[in-house]
Amino acid sequence: MVPLTSHIVINPVAAFGRYSRLLFHAFGAVAEISSYRSNVWRQMVKVGVESLPIVILAATFSGAVSTVQTSYQLVSPLIPRSIVGAIITSSMILELGAVVTGFILAGRVGARIAAELGTMRVTEQIDALETMGLNSVGYLIVPRVIAGVVMFPILYIAACFFGIGGGMLIGELGGFVPFEEFVFGAREYFQPFDPIFGIIKSLVFGFLITSISCFKGYYTQGGAEGVGRATTQAAVASCVFLLLADLLLAVVLL
Amino acid sequence: MISVSHISKSFGEKHVLRDVSVDIPEGETVAIIGRSGSGKSVLMKHLIGLMQPDAGTVTVDGIDINAITYAELRRVRRNFGVLFQGGALFDSMNSFENVAFPLRTFTDMSDADISKVVKDCLAMVELEDVGSKMPSELSGGMQKRVALARAVALQPRYIIYDEPTSGLDPETSNTIDELIRNLADRLNVTSIVVTHDMHSVLNIADRAAFIYEGRVHWTGTIEELHHSDDQILKAFVTANEYKIGPS
Amino acid sequence: MKISNEIKVGLTIIVATVIFILGIRYFEDLPLFDSTYDLVAEFENAGGLIGGNIVRVNGVSVGSVTSVYISESTGKVVVEFHVDPTIPVTEGTYATIGGFDALGVVRMDLTLGPASAERIPEGGLVDTRVTSDLMAEMTTRAPAMLTNVDSVLEELEGVMAQANAMVSTPESDIRQILSSARGSMRQIETLLADESNRIARILAHADSLTADLDAALGEDGEAVASLMDQMETTLATLNEDLERFQATNEQLDEILRKLNDGEGTLGLLLNDPSMYHRMDATLSDLNALITDFQRNPGRYLKEMNLVDLF
Repeated sequence: MVPLTSHIVINPVAAFGRYSRLLFHAFGAVAEISSYRSNVWRQMVKVGVESLPIVILAATFSGAVSTVQTSYQLVSPLIPRSIVGAIITSSMILELGAVVTGFILAGRVGARIAAELGTMRVTEQIDALETMGLNSVGYLIVPRVIAGVVMFPILYIAACFFGIGGGMLIGELGGFVPFEEFVFGAREYFQPFDPIFGIIKSLVFGFLITSISCFKGYYTQGGAEGVGRATTQAAVASCVFLLLADLLLAVVLL
Repeated sequence: MISVSHISKSFGEKHVLRDVSVDIPEGETVAIIGRSGSGKSVLMKHLIGLMQPDAGTVTVDGIDINAITYAELRRVRRNFGVLFQGGALFDSMNSFENVAFPLRTFTDMSDADISKVVKDCLAMVELEDVGSKMPSELSGGMQKRVALARAVALQPRYIIYDEPTSGLDPETSNTIDELIRNLADRLNVTSIVVTHDMHSVLNIADRAAFIYEGRVHWTGTIEELHHSDDQILKAFVTANEYKIGPS
Repeated sequence: MKISNEIKVGLTIIVATVIFILGIRYFEDLPLFDSTYDLVAEFENAGGLIGGNIVRVNGVSVGSVTSVYISESTGKVVVEFHVDPTIPVTEGTYATIGGFDALGVVRMDLTLGPASAERIPEGGLVDTRVTSDLMAEMTTRAPAMLTNVDSVLEELEGVMAQANAMVSTPESDIRQILSSARGSMRQIETLLADESNRIARILAHADSLTADLDAALGEDGEAVASLMDQMETTLATLNEDLERFQATNEQLDEILRKLNDGEGTLGLLLNDPSMYHRMDATLSDLNALITDFQRNPGRYLKEMNLVDLF
């Protein structure tokens, strides 16, 4: 009974406690910008710019596939084809843009961050930073989280742009929905708050993915195997919390 | 002067350190010896505040490093250079950048000055021409020497060596020992060498503290070590001698 | 040339921000770069209109609604919207809210004023009119419609009750018809049972015939088609003939019925037994006379001579 309780209740609570302490520590180090400024730019390139191709690819295809499938399902003469444009645009802006990007980043960026920090931990590079008198949390975690929070909305915008673009393109070229009807439908149902909501969502996702991955990597234990475990956990935990946050934000903001 | 007094540390049920007291006098080279898992690495981490003791104090130059803020602790840490077991070079930077890193981070030196200091440090470890190489391109011994160059770049007053010769061939071990010796002599730093390599202890240390089952079992000068008739210490020393002896 | 991280990041952020702003403007149906022509309209009832709904002129989408809110001072619904600056929204223009609220497709329609009139200035107020939408229309008419439906249902119920009564009365015609129909069915059944072999044969023939027809169709569709045409005309003629025949038959029926009922001379003749009796008596008298004549011809011959004498 006791081990079960500890497994289900105590461990997650303890982990959350350590996560909070790490974040608290990180916020305390935000002011020491001189020590990590160049790191921020490097992380922004790694998290943001270098993720653009895969995000664009995934978004374009998910937009195109959604368009084809939605057109396939809506074969009622009562429903105008422009509805497809409305569905693709709003689902891309509200949900797919942020979530597709989130999943890609959880896998790509989250795993990389956890592996990087985990390796630094097990090879004592983090200790080395600390013993030099550097704030390792400030130096390693803050730039990554900042990069996540700043670049994720950028990737979200790219995902929406290319996702909707991909939908329009396949609609026009594949003869599912003509471009004009697509845009007409999209405009008819467009809510100016939707992209704002998407941006808020991507900010939260960016923060969650990078901070969770940093947490998992920073507290890696047990050599190369530990790094592998941290990497997997980072990707999985990022996805899980991303979905939870997705639901929570939808309930609170919509 | 580093003074460790009565510290205890346990991880869960496991008592790693029990009432450990060690003094490290200014300018001397002190070896902390003991078998693997005896707690000497844990003791080392207490010296620079990477771990906090459950009980007892660690004072560096009279400052209790567990009673000060994180910012103050970091200031204290700048007096230290640490050579980690695997070198702990930042693998995202080349050798030159690694050595330059503390200089760039903690000094206002110009790039030219930094470049000069880095070259001097690399020359000291006899690796002038590896500046552009990434750590992954270097052998284990070279990595440790670059790491040593990085540890001394800021001219620390204390240098901690964590298993400096483990995993190295005897010849490279001798080179490292020699470097440690030279550094101690030339820069007049206080050195703490955590090791189980008695060969290297006898080469470089002035004093030794033998950690056995989480306690300081024996402490004294190298001279006294030679004449000690403590059975456990003798067993440890001779086991080492036999291991390294044939070389 | 090596591009620094700062430039890469900066460029990405700038491009993304531009796309974001232009994208929102695009989907809000705002001109991407020009300024817009903003106008205001006041309604009693917004009818579900919300920001983002489109604004149309003569069925063409020309802009969209920016925001909808209730004025604190007047309590009216204020609709801020913008249209393409090239649209001549002149004095006399009025706005209506249309669309289908239940489906969430609400829009605002502008009916433009005369082209000669002055344009409403930027931010100016556009007149509004109320049109009832489809749903509202239906809602208002619904009670009357329901009453109609109700009375129809009542009538239907009466009819059903009558029918029911008819069926349940034992002497009713329907009962009799049904029972005779049952009898016929039984007869047919027996017939079918008796003739099932033959029916099978007929079916087999029909089958082969169909197969032949199929083959014929396969070989020469047109010929079959013309054949079918002919057959159709033949059938039509046959039909006509049958109709005529039926009419004749009916007439015949009528005659027979009348004859039966003793209508007309022939009928009376046929139906009057007294005449028969009389004739019978006459004939038997005649018979007796002839017999008598044969027995005693002299009596009558005398008379005949007498007659000759005259």
